[in-house]
Amino acid sequence: MLKIIFIALFNLAAALALAPLLDGFMRRIKAVVHSRQGPPLLQTYYDLFKLFSKEDREVTSDLVFRLTPVVCLGAVLLAALFTPMGGPAPLGFGGDLILLVYLLSIPGIAIMLGAMSSGSPYAMLGASREMMLVLTVEPVLFITLFTAGIKANSLVLADITGWSVSHGWSISLVIAGLALLLALQSELAKLPFDLAEAETEIMEGPFVEYSGPKLALFKWAIYAKVVIYVSLFLEVFLPGPKTGILVADLLINLVKVFIVVGLVELIELVNPRLKIDQAINYFKGVAVLALIGLAFALMGM
Amino acid sequence: MVTREELSLKLIERLGKVKLTTSGSGKQLFVVVAEKDLSTSVDYVFNQLGARLITTVGTDRTPVTGKYEVSYIFSFDRDNLLLVIKVEVDPANPVIESVTPIIPGADWAEREVRDLIGVQPENHPDPRRLVLSDDWPEEVYPMRQDFPFDYQPPKVENARPQLKEKPENTSVMTVGPFFPTLEEPAYFRLFVEGERIVGSDYRGFYSHRGIEKLADKVLDYNRVPFLAERICGICGFVHSCCYCQAVEAAAEIEAPARAKYIRTIMLELERIHSHLLWLGLAGHIIGFDTVLMQSWRIRERLMWLTEQITGNRKTYGMNLVGGVRRDITVDLQQKIKEVLAKIEAESRQVVDAISGDTTLLMRLQNVGCLSAEDARLICVVGPTARASGVDIDSRRDHPYAAYPDLQLTVPVYKNGDSWDRTLVRLDELFVSIDLVRQALEKMPDGPIMAEDPVVPPGREGVSVVEAPRGECCHYVITGTDRPERWRVRASTYPQLQAVPVMFNNQTVADAPIIIGSIDPCFSCTERLETVDVKSRRLKVYTKAELMEACQSGRLDGDSRA
Repeated sequence: MLKIIFIALFNLAAALALAPLLDGFMRRIKAVVHSRQGPPLLQTYYDLFKLFSKEDREVTSDLVFRLTPVVCLGAVLLAALFTPMGGPAPLGFGGDLILLVYLLSIPGIAIMLGAMSSGSPYAMLGASREMMLVLTVEPVLFITLFTAGIKANSLVLADITGWSVSHGWSISLVIAGLALLLALQSELAKLPFDLAEAETEIMEGPFVEYSGPKLALFKWAIYAKVVIYVSLFLEVFLPGPKTGILVADLLINLVKVFIVVGLVELIELVNPRLKIDQAINYFKGVAVLALIGLAFALMGM
Repeated sequence: MVTREELSLKLIERLGKVKLTTSGSGKQLFVVVAEKDLSTSVDYVFNQLGARLITTVGTDRTPVTGKYEVSYIFSFDRDNLLLVIKVEVDPANPVIESVTPIIPGADWAEREVRDLIGVQPENHPDPRRLVLSDDWPEEVYPMRQDFPFDYQPPKVENARPQLKEKPENTSVMTVGPFFPTLEEPAYFRLFVEGERIVGSDYRGFYSHRGIEKLADKVLDYNRVPFLAERICGICGFVHSCCYCQAVEAAAEIEAPARAKYIRTIMLELERIHSHLLWLGLAGHIIGFDTVLMQSWRIRERLMWLTEQITGNRKTYGMNLVGGVRRDITVDLQQKIKEVLAKIEAESRQVVDAISGDTTLLMRLQNVGCLSAEDARLICVVGPTARASGVDIDSRRDHPYAAYPDLQLTVPVYKNGDSWDRTLVRLDELFVSIDLVRQALEKMPDGPIMAEDPVVPPGREGVSVVEAPRGECCHYVITGTDRPERWRVRASTYPQLQAVPVMFNNQTVADAPIIIGSIDPCFSCTERLETVDVKSRRLKVYTKAELMEACQSGRLDGDSRA
């Protein structure tokens, strides 16, 4: 019991307290590639702190507008409790994979609802882009995770991770892992797929009318999402090496998260933003790849 | 090829009796036609002889001739010839027949003549206010001679621009008046169905500064270059150079050869910095910040260099009528060569890195297309025209400064999309580096100022200079100690009129890069008074107070007008 509480606290801390550091790390990488000095590593914490201490300007008294930032962060935190981040997931039951996938789609829906309630045309456009992206990218996440589930013959994330560690690679898992890696850039809202925010086109899209603490909650949820998605990807498709010592495993996972996030940032740095139709075309290809992985898994390969 | 004499004969043959005057430079022809002949002659010159309309100038010459004058400046690009067709308008009935139905590119210029002088273009397709602020009273024309330069209009509540009605079943997306990717105020209204743009409307001219009026009423010949330089923060040297050349052409002053070479070197250095700046901004607009940072890093070297040459990173303050103020010494020449070598190597790296980038191509190819025919009708200039296959470059077509002595290649592309406009500018970057090297090689010794330049009154001069963004044109009528009329046509002016055409069938995501791809400089197109506010105390202004402040020109005494 104590162990589970420890892991739960660790997961929450990784998603909440560590996530801004990850963003600071990405900003440092960006600065190096840009030949800039860049902000301090802890800048994202300062930014969040500043946002929380700002006046909250509301464009509408709509309840949806007020609640969605809280729902967004809440769903992400709940998802963090179902995600294995090195150790087993603190909350887990038979079929928790399905719940996790649903939880992970809530932030996107919350962002869309908040944007639509604000009534700004930029937010509307951002919301419609977000919706199109969610509809094309989320299935990839579904399919690839279920591919792993079929291989492990279980929808419990802990079982899937354990099966991956003990059985190693197979064709279907490699293909599914690759598909998820290709979709990761969009799940993390990084270039070339940050179209929903696109500050130079539609001025942060869904967030254009948000300010102060509410904006901070959204931003924090997005940072936390990075930790969850990357951990999920690593635990399902690259679970090793496992030492068996809980603390060491948790730390190894963190190091791996930093490496993957660094790669994501490098991809972001060499790409301009795509247009929505181009992005969707790209993800059609990725979805086909994911389906091929699923087919291989069903054939037992 | 057509010479000035042949052109005169053709015009006389076509129109019967016309009044011809020429200027000393041998490349400018001034023709006065009757008001009823205007459309015929403009049609003949534009459609039969293939000339390009540069701009339209309205002048109040009532103290001299008792008439208003409207001049249409044409360029014969293959023949190094500038033609000015003028009509004299009776102040009692200030109406002319609009030529916009013949030349769409005359649209803004004619509206501007109406706003500033009060000569109505009849049958103009879009007779809305263009240049003047929305709260400016009707029937008050600031460029008339009896109009005081420091006039302040009476207060107006809730002035609104006249906007186009949106088409049915569309919604309006606004780009501007303040938009994160456009650093200056400009108000594009896009009529969209989903993400697709089906129409657009533009309202600009938010930061008028009254520059032309100031030059005509307050400053003298040698102060105007410093004002001209402030028309644009990026191509300032172009404007001061263009003004000086226009006065020199009118007064028949010949600048010394060394001064001409120094002007050429500065113009080309300015082009290098401007194209690097543009490349960075274009990258930023489509989210490619790595390009922004790298190209601005390269540009920074050039800014340090110009600071060593002129004392300023920008706004060099080098030009005077008759020459330049600072020499480029042997030490500096060596320094320029070293910096150019570094810039060339580093730019080459960046260009190689981006020219094969497939995602970049996806964002820029077939975006914002402008056909060669549209480019000719709207009379666009510079890289925008050259990307559409219109082979014009005033450095080659109307050689000025030291360009007649230099070897110059003009890159021309065919598709007219944003990618081709990028390619033109990237090619020009290296052409400019080469030109500076040639100029340094051939630069003669000698004085840098003409001796005792005198400007006689009542003469006219036109000058064009190829700015990084396209061709600039300055038109001067000389007065006693200051220009009687000075008209500036900055390079963005025609390009912006082409943007609605480029918007056709594009998506909202393309809009910023389409606007960006013409390298817009909104302030260049604008001319009235502005207020620079510098308040250190914290105070929240209400809308009424801000309106009050705008109209009285100050905020609690902390501002400087």
